[in-house]
Amino acid sequence: MSSCIERPRTTCSLGGALSTISALPGVIPISHTTSGCAGNLSGTTAFNSGYCGSNYCSGQSVPVSNFNESNVVFGGAGRLREELISTFELIDGKLYIVLTGCMSEIIADDVQGVVSEFQNEGKPLIYVNTPSFEGDAFEGYELVLDKIINDQLPVSSRKDKSIINVFGIVPQFDPFFRGDLGEIKRILERLGLRVNTLFTNDQTYKNLTDVPKAGLNILLSPVYGVDLLKKFEKRHGTPFITEDLPVGAIQTEAFIRHVAKALDIDSATVNRVIKEEKRDYYAYLERAADLISDSEFKYYADVVGNATGTLSYARFLRDELGFVVENSVITDFLPKKKEKILKGYLEGKDIPGNLSFETDTYQVTKLLKNAMGQPNGDFYIDLHTPRFVFGSTFEKDYAVKNALPYLAISYPVYDRTILSKGYAGFRGGLQLMEDILCVLVAGR
Amino acid sequence: MKNYDQNEPLVRDIRLSAADSFYGKGCDLLKCAEGGCLCNKNRSFWQANSCQLSLSLMMASTIENAAIIIHSPVGCGVNMSTLYSNVTGGRNKRGLGQNNLVWLSTNMQKVDIINGGEKKLRELIRYTDREYRPELIFVVAACAPSIIGDDVDDIVNSEKENIAADLAAIHCPGFKSRVVASAYDSFYHALIRHLKFEPEPYIDYNPDNYANPYNGDQTALYRYNKARTVNLFNATSMNPDDENEIVRLLQALDLNVQIYTEYSSRDKLRFISEASLNISMCDVHDDYILKYLEEKYGIPYVIQGMPLGKKAIREWLLKIAGFFGKEKDAEKICDYEEKRLDEALKPFLKTIRGKRVIMGGGVVRIAEEARMLKELGMDIITIRPYHYDNEAGGVYSEVAEEFPDTPVAVSTQVFELINQLKKYKPDIVVEHAGKHGWISKCGIPSVNLFSQARPFFGYAGEYAFIKNLAFHLQNNSYAKNLSKNVRLPYHKNWYEKDPYSYIKD
Ligand code: SF4
Repeated sequence: MSSCIERPRTTCSLGGALSTISALPGVIPISHTTSGCAGNLSGTTAFNSGYCGSNYCSGQSVPVSNFNESNVVFGGAGRLREELISTFELIDGKLYIVLTGCMSEIIADDVQGVVSEFQNEGKPLIYVNTPSFEGDAFEGYELVLDKIINDQLPVSSRKDKSIINVFGIVPQFDPFFRGDLGEIKRILERLGLRVNTLFTNDQTYKNLTDVPKAGLNILLSPVYGVDLLKKFEKRHGTPFITEDLPVGAIQTEAFIRHVAKALDIDSATVNRVIKEEKRDYYAYLERAADLISDSEFKYYADVVGNATGTLSYARFLRDELGFVVENSVITDFLPKKKEKILKGYLEGKDIPGNLSFETDTYQVTKLLKNAMGQPNGDFYIDLHTPRFVFGSTFEKDYAVKNALPYLAISYPVYDRTILSKGYAGFRGGLQLMEDILCVLVAGR
Repeated sequence: MKNYDQNEPLVRDIRLSAADSFYGKGCDLLKCAEGGCLCNKNRSFWQANSCQLSLSLMMASTIENAAIIIHSPVGCGVNMSTLYSNVTGGRNKRGLGQNNLVWLSTNMQKVDIINGGEKKLRELIRYTDREYRPELIFVVAACAPSIIGDDVDDIVNSEKENIAADLAAIHCPGFKSRVVASAYDSFYHALIRHLKFEPEPYIDYNPDNYANPYNGDQTALYRYNKARTVNLFNATSMNPDDENEIVRLLQALDLNVQIYTEYSSRDKLRFISEASLNISMCDVHDDYILKYLEEKYGIPYVIQGMPLGKKAIREWLLKIAGFFGKEKDAEKICDYEEKRLDEALKPFLKTIRGKRVIMGGGVVRIAEEARMLKELGMDIITIRPYHYDNEAGGVYSEVAEEFPDTPVAVSTQVFELINQLKKYKPDIVVEHAGKHGWISKCGIPSVNLFSQARPFFGYAGEYAFIKNLAFHLQNNSYAKNLSKNVRLPYHKNWYEKDPYSYIKD
């Protein structure tokens, strides 16, 4: 119904911007809002992403202009200026970014004017408009990177084909962002590439400024980052390829071959890497087979999550574990333009089960219920069980009520913790398998 | 009753003069508040905190079979997921059934900001009623609709007729108040304006029975029961263990206890007027609704600090007992309880005695806990209430007396806390959740000033608190190791400055 959402799995763009900046090394956010917006948003995304938590200058440490009623009436420029002076005195960073929220946007505060005063003094300060009523968290991710990369970073004349940037994974809203990006990086490095992930713990501010040097951008999401990378290509001349987030051995092998083709990497290296990785991977599966096969670990499956990961998880379950996927539910709140991009991308793609787009948790539950069927008093009834639910913690109630095994794989995740774990790549595939098996044997 | 008739309650900044910035000595705060200089204080640097919307949601989310509509862009109210899981825990611990709470966002878009979001809100109210069949729908109005002038109250009043559920508006735009505690008033205002506080004939009781002249016994019994029934006002910061402990003490005075308003239902709220005394457990929490209930139903109330720590418990219980002429009983109970508590605390005292503590959190609780720890021989080196308003005056006159020279700072701010920790290296910190990660990063052990894990109120609470404190004074390896390996964002020279140097007049 219109744009209303029941139990949203996203925030306003300010929330996504704060999450993104918290993962960028050396970058300091200043939230030109009440102190509540920044605190509520960063506190909750830190909770909802498997207790990702706050770091350096995120969470309760984010500088805020603490917008109040008099600022709404008389403007908040003076307060922002004062906050920025103090921030530079107190906080050690490489780049400072002012973010806006609904109040500063509605009253059309002169943020640009204040920011340019500091820029004139040579301070590394920029601002990004993140009005809460235009675009959600995923948009916030793009807005921040777009401003830094396509507006601030100088064009590099020297391109290095061995440098790759990876985009499309949104900190916290893709709760496995660190583990996933770490694994993608590991794999690409095995092919002799150097990788800017921007968000893994090994990254420094230099990775961010090196981004224009890259020879290729890899986008791991069908929607998030498309505009960003089109503009990137225009400004910096770096082309991009869109790849599905690779989960498990089958998808990762395909991923490697696509990247190798785009970069002309010699096939001997590619084949060697794939062979070694698969040997390792299947050696684990070889032994796990006793458990999986003896216990008949085969399930109908529902997969609920965002546009970036859902289908990859569904394919993994179908292709590697032999699950029968009945529902692939994409829960993103997409503006028209992004919806078009996504639907265009999915056309002709391999889609496990029934694909639905649904933002409301209650409606998602209905989809899952319908696929499973309900006892109707008949002696013989083909309920689609045993059944495994993969979704966010919002799907947990449904799973628990129906005594179905369940694993949280998408935002929000707050019934398990996620530190270095990821589900992408070879190692991620093993992790996912391990977590699924853990759920199934936990009651023993 | 003027205030109660308004669509929106006055925020505490206006109603009570509230403050969020201060640094001085224990004896200064009250003076500064009374002299009026407190309200003018501010900071030239601020960090993220919370807003009254998020606290309003915290209370509303506990109400049975409710749906919450957050009228705002999609970011406000993100913390509902956290609250939902808290409430599930709270319900489980209270033995209540499944958590049926749903929440929805009008997810205001640019066109709603330009054209107003009223139509959308109306539709969402009807949809929510139809689709989820809640007993009660709260419409929570955030900053954006307030700035663009959506008439939420008008919508709520007119939609009441179109839906089956009860409907209440909570006005709590974050930008309107500097203090999160305004949320208590916002929430109570919504209950007062939109819900019923009296039992309904033929639903809750049969009026024919009472009209029957031959049924005098029933009327007498009713009167007797009401005369010894008290309402106890809870809050999210008070857990079921706290409630149990306090109910135990009140029952020892032969009182019958009804608990409000969290974890109540619409139907239960109708009995709120069926008591002879309203009892608050925190000075800055309930005055808004208690004064209303006094004006409207003539029910007196007790606001007397928090029943936390021997001294305060005695003051609190005696005050209540006074209403029923049971002071002697109360004294007896306290004597007995204190004696067995003192005995039980003995083994922990040598661990905690002389240890230096920094304490921060809710304005009343942190003062009561400081009083409690001081009495047990701990050295309180700073008290950091999160806000201050006039309602806390009672407790802070005790603070002025008991801690005249102890630094007191009205602060939620992490940078100030970290500066103090680095400078004064306390042995342990008592703080609000949300701060402990930062405290650990400074290498210092810390405990919560309240949590869901154990009682904090009453004698059981004091025992649990001290036991936990002593436990956390053992083996600080985790925080120590963490602090060696994590970098904080502040320039070195920040630690050379005074921790509260960004507070200005
Ligand atoms: S916009 Fe207002 S109500 Fe919403 S989170 Fe920010 S301060 Fe709170």
